[in-house]
Amino acid sequence: MQEPSSTQRGGMAAKAETKAKVSGAKSRTLWGDAFKRLRKNKLAVIAVVWIIFVILVAVTADLWAQQWLGSPTASDTTQLATTSLLPPSPEHPFGTDLNGRDILVRVIYGARVSLTVGVVATSISTVIGLVMGALAAFYGGIWDTIIMRLADVFLAFPYVLFVVAMIAALGNGLMNVFIAIGILGWPSIARVFRSAILTVKENDYVDAARAMGASDFRIIVRHIFPNSVASIVVYATMNIGSAILTESSLSFLGLGVTPPTPTWGSMIQAGQSYLQTAPWMMIMPGLAILTTVLAFTLLGDGLRDALDVKMKDA
Amino acid sequence: MGKYILKRVLQFIPVFFGVTLILFLLQNVVPGDPIKMIAGDKVLDPAVELQMRVSYDLVQVDENGDPILDENGDPVPVPLPERYVNYIVDLFHGDLGRSYQRKLPVTDIFADKFPYTARLAVCAIILEAIMGIGAGIISAIKRYSFWDILVTLVTSIMVSLPAFWLGMLLQLFFGVYLHVLPLSGAGGGVASAYPEWMYYILPAFTLASVSMAYSARIMRSQLLDVMNQDYIRTARAKGLSNRSVIVHHALKNALIPVVTYIGVDFGSMLSGAILTETVFNWPGIGYEIYRAITQRDWPIVMGGVTIIIVVVMVINLLVDISYGFLDPRIRFGAPKDKS
Repeated sequence: MQEPSSTQRGGMAAKAETKAKVSGAKSRTLWGDAFKRLRKNKLAVIAVVWIIFVILVAVTADLWAQQWLGSPTASDTTQLATTSLLPPSPEHPFGTDLNGRDILVRVIYGARVSLTVGVVATSISTVIGLVMGALAAFYGGIWDTIIMRLADVFLAFPYVLFVVAMIAALGNGLMNVFIAIGILGWPSIARVFRSAILTVKENDYVDAARAMGASDFRIIVRHIFPNSVASIVVYATMNIGSAILTESSLSFLGLGVTPPTPTWGSMIQAGQSYLQTAPWMMIMPGLAILTTVLAFTLLGDGLRDALDVKMKDA
Repeated sequence: MGKYILKRVLQFIPVFFGVTLILFLLQNVVPGDPIKMIAGDKVLDPAVELQMRVSYDLVQVDENGDPILDENGDPVPVPLPERYVNYIVDLFHGDLGRSYQRKLPVTDIFADKFPYTARLAVCAIILEAIMGIGAGIISAIKRYSFWDILVTLVTSIMVSLPAFWLGMLLQLFFGVYLHVLPLSGAGGGVASAYPEWMYYILPAFTLASVSMAYSARIMRSQLLDVMNQDYIRTARAKGLSNRSVIVHHALKNALIPVVTYIGVDFGSMLSGAILTETVFNWPGIGYEIYRAITQRDWPIVMGGVTIIIVVVMVINLLVDISYGFLDPRIRFGAPKDKS
């Protein structure tokens, strides 16, 4: 997915103001300043609160959700006549599905899959991207050409289709979803890290470190990485959102995580047949995707402004 | 210009082989024997299995078309590099293998589906261009106004929701509640209650939604960028009206990146079609791929993906070249390395 080149918006004036205030205070770290600025960004704060809430709900679900709302997977087939396709009510806040299962509890358990995929796939992409970007920028020459051409190859792929092809080839399963989505995300991180290194590499302190006999690895880890970590954090945050979207597309198509494990995408898919009679079946999981992905996007935007990262085409 | 085109085509070649190599490896190296997958759970008779391996070019054959056996009586598999060459040759001949279930060549299955997908993508591109560029211009000109905030808000939401879900919401609202637009299908039948063009509205909008949001954002930031340039100040200084400055000076320059984005986006429309067409039962390539996924008919899935990816790559190449025509700075400018 492409990020528009610079999406600076309304916050410019406000940002300049906060910057002035911050610089008046005594010197702090990059992260301390960034945190202060982030706290002033209402949308980003709401996003953080929502993300923490979703994580807490997903992690603690086993302790309370099933007692309250019943099992997310098993259904009592003897009672179907009275439990199937119920509209939202105090007892079932999000309604029930065809098998009489509560939709809220399925959305809660679906969050586990989505968050895990988002975090694990992004970690895979980030690690591959960092290694590739470092190799390309630091060793240059043939390494640079090969790796950046490879990045072009990956970027030339229509993203969703390629993930579909990989799952078709690898087979279903959560592990393969991690791999498929994770492998595809590296080129943008690699490009960011590579260009960050190329800028930082020219600085005197890198020469100084080398003059003191530091190894390439040490220079990358101790001197270059801390200087480009801000942009990587921004890209990784946004990447989590798009990984969640991709996973939902996959499970909507019936690929990846298989039933009866609830995923937001497969719940929407199940709701498609009952669009006219039980629209809550597709509306509720869709809202879960929208709010979660939006939260990661807004947090990414907020971090970008707070850390003053310039976004480039990636 | 000729040199520029040549350079682009030469750059395209390694990318093409890289992409096809990855697709080929996905089909051939990953676990799972294709022949066993055709059979599913059944156990195949060895003779039948051998014959199938021959027909799918998986084992070496002599000039009579009989399989060559080694000293143990086992067939000799065709080496992987040779199979890749065969795959590329077949690809150029328009052969992408045969469907497991329907025993038809994959290309035949897609031949009559492609026009539907292409027409839908063209409608979506037109929608994207009009609405995306329009929204971007409004929000840039009336910066910080209500409309600007609205555009920012709506585009943030549009890029954060799954397009297939948006499609279903549209179906629910316009089809189920208001009864003004058809729910799904491509129309054209005798029994259809709506004129044929109405069947295009919801799928085209759904397909265009994400790109529309991005092109609005790009348009906005480009226009704001251009408005700060010296030549805009010059134009104002010589007394041109605000309207004339924007239309004749600012837009011309701000549009180029947006037009390129929209051009390249035609490719992602084709791939986004798999989700949109699934929601709307649209009889195109995407829906066919979805059906093949549900039937575990992998040659159709891989073949369809290959067709779309190759088409996308060719379109991107053409867009790159036309970009050179549009903007001389690209043709003569610095090397491509923009990151």
